[in-house]
Amino acid sequence: MTKAIKLRFNRKQLCIPYAAFLVLFVICPLLVIIYYAFTDGTGQITFENFINFFSNTNTLGTLLNSIAISAVTTLVCLVIAYPVAYILARSKFKKKYVLLMLFVLPMWINFTLRITALKEILTAIETNIAMYPFLNTVIGMSYDFLPFMILPLYTSLSKLDKSLTEAAEDLGAGGFTVFMRVILPLSVPGIISGVTMVLLPSMTNYVVLDMLYNSTYIMGSLIGSYFAAYDWNNGSMISLVLLVIIFVITLVTNRFSDSGETGGRTNIL
Amino acid sequence: MKKMKIAAIAAACLFTVPVFAAAGCTDEEETVVLRVSNWEEYIDLGGWDDEEAIDIANAYTGEDHIMGVNSVVDDFTEWFNSQDHGFKVRVEYSTFGTNEDLYNQLNLGDVYDLVCPSDYMIMKLLASGDIQPFSDDFMDTSDPENYYINGVSRYIDGANGSIFDQYGWSGIAACYMWGTTGLVYNPERTDEDGADVESWDMLTNADYYKSVTIKDNVRDAYFAALSILYEDELNEINADEKMTDAEKAQARSDLLNATDADTIAKAEDILKDIKENVYSFETDSGKADMVTGKVIGNLQWSGDAVYILDQADEEDTELWYSVPDSNTNLWFDGWVMLKDGIAGSKERQIAAEAFVNFLSRPDIAVRNMYYIGYTSANASEEIFEYFDWCYGAVTDSESEDYYEFDNIYVYDVSYFFGEDSYIYLDMDLLDVEGAVQTNKYSDDDYIAGYPVYEGGTINKGRQAFGQYPTADVIDRSVVMLDFGDDLAAINQMWINVRCLDVKDIPVTTIVIVAVAIAAIAAAVVLYRFRYDIFYNRKEKQA
Repeated sequence: MTKAIKLRFNRKQLCIPYAAFLVLFVICPLLVIIYYAFTDGTGQITFENFINFFSNTNTLGTLLNSIAISAVTTLVCLVIAYPVAYILARSKFKKKYVLLMLFVLPMWINFTLRITALKEILTAIETNIAMYPFLNTVIGMSYDFLPFMILPLYTSLSKLDKSLTEAAEDLGAGGFTVFMRVILPLSVPGIISGVTMVLLPSMTNYVVLDMLYNSTYIMGSLIGSYFAAYDWNNGSMISLVLLVIIFVITLVTNRFSDSGETGGRTNIL
Repeated sequence: MKKMKIAAIAAACLFTVPVFAAAGCTDEEETVVLRVSNWEEYIDLGGWDDEEAIDIANAYTGEDHIMGVNSVVDDFTEWFNSQDHGFKVRVEYSTFGTNEDLYNQLNLGDVYDLVCPSDYMIMKLLASGDIQPFSDDFMDTSDPENYYINGVSRYIDGANGSIFDQYGWSGIAACYMWGTTGLVYNPERTDEDGADVESWDMLTNADYYKSVTIKDNVRDAYFAALSILYEDELNEINADEKMTDAEKAQARSDLLNATDADTIAKAEDILKDIKENVYSFETDSGKADMVTGKVIGNLQWSGDAVYILDQADEEDTELWYSVPDSNTNLWFDGWVMLKDGIAGSKERQIAAEAFVNFLSRPDIAVRNMYYIGYTSANASEEIFEYFDWCYGAVTDSESEDYYEFDNIYVYDVSYFFGEDSYIYLDMDLLDVEGAVQTNKYSDDDYIAGYPVYEGGTINKGRQAFGQYPTADVIDRSVVMLDFGDDLAAINQMWINVRCLDVKDIPVTTIVIVAVAIAAIAAAVVLYRFRYDIFYNRKEKQA
């Protein structure tokens, strides 16, 4: 009895919990979405929802609106996050983890609370936040997603071998040249990872939009409103098209990062 | 030996537990679980402070005040189980956020015995045959314990020609709360004579650019749009002297329940204007935005309007409630039993009907009204007393509620409470046009020395007006029916309003998109061909 029971698993068995999770919560819902996307209210197979998506100027306008919001958000995040991640990764400060924690800390607070606080700050600055819906949405989204940009950038930059930059400096490269030719190319996997983590969710995160009083829908709210109006078929089709768009973007970015050096890319997919 | 002892104790335990359990069971009666689904924040949850006690004698508990110590649901369970029904009840209470949420839950297979949807959803559930009608016992006025049918205002239910009778809901649904829709506004920031807030136009009025809110809900928004669209027609109907009241009501209802393609298209245009002009489409934030002064006006249900006015009073801001003079939406939330839930069980039906009756018990109705701010369908004496207690003018200068005021207005709510039901109000709490001074009430010592007015028309007022509008407001009100088969078209219209149409995209947006895409493309290309770009140049430099 004193002998501990030995648990032996091979790798395949260790995969079972995840595989079960995947089938139950990813594959099955996906199949349901596909079913609804290609059927009408009575269950007949139809491509009308698909045609509807591309012939409805409102849906297309919403798609463009979402892309605009998410693209600007991503750019803003990248511009803010890169210097921060760079300074963090380069800093000789021994407690830089504390610094990093300071940037990640907001993620621990519920984001609706953060956005509520942001709403009050913006009201104090702008007086009437309803006047600048686009600007406010971008600010809110950037506020929300900034840590997702900083973390992968930080990982990729901190794993960068210092001897490479030293070698470049020895060979006579100035600070700017070192950055452009050594650091930036080597951090591209981090950039791509960060961009994917910000671009995709900001296309559908309509809670931020609602809370900051932007009355124009983005894709997330559009899907939600179709579901609320019992129109599961059109809602599913929009989700599906969005899924395909996301899939293509991920595919393209993965290709790029695979062909590049293996940096500190945090794998998310 | 030791082992033997342990085994004996274990055996003793094993055998005795079921025996105890069985002994417990014999005394217990069968417990029926009543599954209730109600709106969020639509019932008294108890926990009042002692200061909050309402000074109205409570004949049902024997106390000299009405107060919510425990939640109404707990009180019901205790009350029901203290009676001899041959079974016990346990309430499983859940809430929903919108009628559509409830409908979706029901369609997805959630089972409830008793739910509290709004008028149109009752129609929808009734049309699909989901509703279990109330029993004859429930509608029997001779039983004094039937608090619902004995207490409900004859204007709403329980009489020929009452609203529920007209729509065929009598015996199907039990009205819980009711009210109007209107505009909550800040009189200091609107125009001097307040004409702007007496019209639904306020929502499209450029003077209130980005400082009014509307509900994020297709029905209320559609009603507001139609009210703006047909404002002239509605005013003509109101002023028409040849039509009978019934004809007028029918004409108004026809206009505001129109769901033909042409009307929907026109409403879409108006709603797009509204979208441009309003501060937000709000689901719940409108209350706070109104109190904090972020907005000047706010389309509201009367119950929430009373709540907002109360909140604002605490912050020393005076807000008012206006019912536009063209028309308003009269709405009802009613309890209905569902066939799927009751499933023929007599016990469950008794429990469900008892629950509705308990909610209609005057003291409980007062507690709910106090707690949520809405107006109960109950017209018992206690409710009227509560209304007077809340808003009636205090003329006794010794009382702690006393403050100086000039004129008394006789506020008549006879249509609801029955003949000769009026309270004395400080006239400054209302915006009365054309009131006349009267000596009719000079016998009443309570108001001796004050000039007394009555009559006239009232479109704007404070809490009292929000809680019980005047009879002429009711006269111009319309019950909004279920959209029926046109629901899909109206939902699509609503989505179109909220979406950005490609055709409407402003140039700036196109520029931003183009720049963003160009920047990303440039970055990608730069990275993809970095060997060619960077290293080639390096070779050249070397």
